[in-house]
Amino acid sequence: MSNDATTLLVGASTDFLRNFSPFNRMEAEALAFVAERAVLAFHARGSEILTPESGVPTHFYIVQRGKIQARQAGQATVTEYTSLTLGAGECFPIGAISARRPSTNAYVAVEDSFCFQISADDFLHLMQISPVFHLFCTQYIASLLSQSRQQLQSSFAQRAAEQQTMTTALGKLIKQEPVFVTPDTPTRSALERMSELHLGCMVVVDAERRPVGILTQSDLLPRVILAGFDLARPIGELMTANPHQLPASASAYDAALEMATHGVRHLLVVDSDSVLLGVVSERDLFSLQRISLRQIRAGIDNAADIAALQRASKDIRQLALNLIAQGIGAEQLTQFISALNDALTRRIITLARERHDLVGIEFAWFAFGSEGRHEQTLSTDQDNGIIFRCADAKQLKETRARLVEFARTVNEDLAACGFPLCKGNIMASNPELCLTLDEWKSRFGDWIREPDPQALLNASIFFDFRVLYGNERFGDQLRSALNKGAKGNSAFLRMMAANALKVMPPLGRIRDFVVEDDGTIDLKKSGARLFVDVARILALRTGVESSSTVQRLRQGSTKIGMSQEEVSAIIDGFNFIQLLRLRSQHLETEHDSADDNRVDPESLNELDRRILKEAFRQARKLQLRLKLDYQL
Amino acid sequence: MSWLSRLKTARGSQSPLSEEAERALEAWHALTEPAHEQPHFESRYVVLNTEATGLDLERDRLLAVGAIAIDGGLLHPQDAYYAQLEPSPGDALASLLGFTGRCPLVVFNATFNRTLLERAFARQLGFTPEFLWIDLYFLLPSLFPERLERPGRLADWMAAFEIETFQRHHALGDAWAIAQLFLAAQSRALSLAVTNPRTLADHAHAYRQKLKV
Repeated sequence: MSNDATTLLVGASTDFLRNFSPFNRMEAEALAFVAERAVLAFHARGSEILTPESGVPTHFYIVQRGKIQARQAGQATVTEYTSLTLGAGECFPIGAISARRPSTNAYVAVEDSFCFQISADDFLHLMQISPVFHLFCTQYIASLLSQSRQQLQSSFAQRAAEQQTMTTALGKLIKQEPVFVTPDTPTRSALERMSELHLGCMVVVDAERRPVGILTQSDLLPRVILAGFDLARPIGELMTANPHQLPASASAYDAALEMATHGVRHLLVVDSDSVLLGVVSERDLFSLQRISLRQIRAGIDNAADIAALQRASKDIRQLALNLIAQGIGAEQLTQFISALNDALTRRIITLARERHDLVGIEFAWFAFGSEGRHEQTLSTDQDNGIIFRCADAKQLKETRARLVEFARTVNEDLAACGFPLCKGNIMASNPELCLTLDEWKSRFGDWIREPDPQALLNASIFFDFRVLYGNERFGDQLRSALNKGAKGNSAFLRMMAANALKVMPPLGRIRDFVVEDDGTIDLKKSGARLFVDVARILALRTGVESSSTVQRLRQGSTKIGMSQEEVSAIIDGFNFIQLLRLRSQHLETEHDSADDNRVDPESLNELDRRILKEAFRQARKLQLRLKLDYQL
Repeated sequence: MSWLSRLKTARGSQSPLSEEAERALEAWHALTEPAHEQPHFESRYVVLNTEATGLDLERDRLLAVGAIAIDGGLLHPQDAYYAQLEPSPGDALASLLGFTGRCPLVVFNATFNRTLLERAFARQLGFTPEFLWIDLYFLLPSLFPERLERPGRLADWMAAFEIETFQRHHALGDAWAIAQLFLAAQSRALSLAVTNPRTLADHAHAYRQKLKV
């Protein structure tokens, strides 16, 4: 007889649930399953229904009436995670109960509320019997993670905005209307205006107000005074043509990077039609940035000896630390470090050339590994080599010997400036890595033809080469030979893929992360490397020229039919791991301990932990794609 | 067996009970009266509600009973009872006892419901079972003075809590609303250190006494 009553009550619950998604779309049988098992409980205003401390959730809740707030627990408040309020018909926790892990949110009744609840076992059974419910939960979890990614970004952006940091758009940094002349303006009148208006530079534009040249104060001494230039002649003959310019939407970081890379003090800001909007000077950026990039750059360029370069190297490090503290993104940060380290290396090479006779030898200096990918962190050791031309075979031995001698000096000087010598002897002073174009080609060809484990390891280091000093054409020729060779050898790519899949993302089935014995995760070995390896294969397969992982992913993956969003999510994941690496190095250097790539997930705040997990998921996704493509 | 024969005599001319009802009664009598001092989360309360021909205690008759258990602070649809008295009122009431056991009974307006029920028990089963009665009519205003200062009608309390039910004026439909009100009452009582059925009943009783003064 009690069945009559149960039927009535279950019917009432069913009618209630039918008002809400996903229950309104749910299979009749599955809906009945929920309604028959849904038990009602009351939660007074202010009471906690579920917290991370309650461990793995034992129940799944459906709000019947009232308001339940989901709050990010733990230290995540620093990231301003917006709390989420759930009303009638909404459910929680979905992610935690599906993954059988403690909830990351605390669920608190913000009004007197009633909630239906079913047991965790019933929830899991429901997932099994109801495709609609299963889809609902999966989509919910996916949206949650993309949401948290956006929140991370916006919280960085917000912090950046508050601190008036280098993420400011250049358009906002322009202080005054641009002053400009046309190329036919007599030099004298252009200089008079510069003097009158106290300008550091004069921009020369065409009839459409598009910049065609620039004349800066520092050009005056060598080009005008010392050269005895006739001031009646047009400025067009005197200016530096093709001035450096950036769109108004570029950030102050981009400008600083451009200035540091090219050693200039002024950048022209243009709109989308290349029309001049204004000038941003190094001084404008200084006001945003305490450490001057250009000072470092100038310090490097003008360094007369290694002692001066050592100081510059320390400055680079300090700058990187400041930038990390400001919350700058990993991609930009590694580019900075890379650009300044490149300048430093070039200066070391230039200084070394003064001490070695290399007359008549045409060569280029290669960077390999992370340096080759523009992904140097603060603790990267040297990976370099030399490529040279030797027309006369009889001269080969002697030429190589001279280059190796020279390279030894460079390697030692680099070590003195904070780039540790490579333990594996992947350095230009190793005669095995001081080769002609043909020798490099045949070396690469051997690895591709016979991909034994050592060859695959070599490929993962050397294929990420880039020319850091000297004739770029050497690099281009080697790259095109490599891409051609690899593309035509799918067996090799398949081996590379199998090799890349040997390391799995440290995601646990039960726990969030699989950690090593000391409770940490190696963010290089089981994090960044997963992306780097797949990106390399992708680049070889699709013929991407760049050696940077982000560029390889961006350019290569669209070719194999991945959507823009998918690629962005993957790149976000990679960048996040890189950022964590840099951040942990940052903290560790301040404590004066050895740099490494280990992070203890327990030490991360809730949001970072969640995003790290998502980043590893992206790595898994990328690996899965590789697996499918090569049927591994 | 002596009480059973007494019972049979007392029931006089009523039609005989079904075997199932006999067993339910027997089982009920075998239960010992609990102390009602175990905390809410270990207590099973039975929310009881009636449907009658009208509201005049002198003339109107009990038509149906609805009961929903609140066990450990949870309302489970499987733990519910509903029966119309006709055609066999003795069976319906005996089965109700089988459902309630000796659990404390929660009603809204005991004056009406308890009287109606006890009269029916006496007439149909020949005895008046002893229960701990908790009357929400007095308990609710004592616990939630911020919502309603004085005792109100069920409709007032449902409005105050924005509680709805699938069918008003139906024994189980109203019981469903009363049960939800009781869930809220239990939670509030706990925060006021009114932790078990006995003290809960006392609390309602004390409020009632205060009203009379």
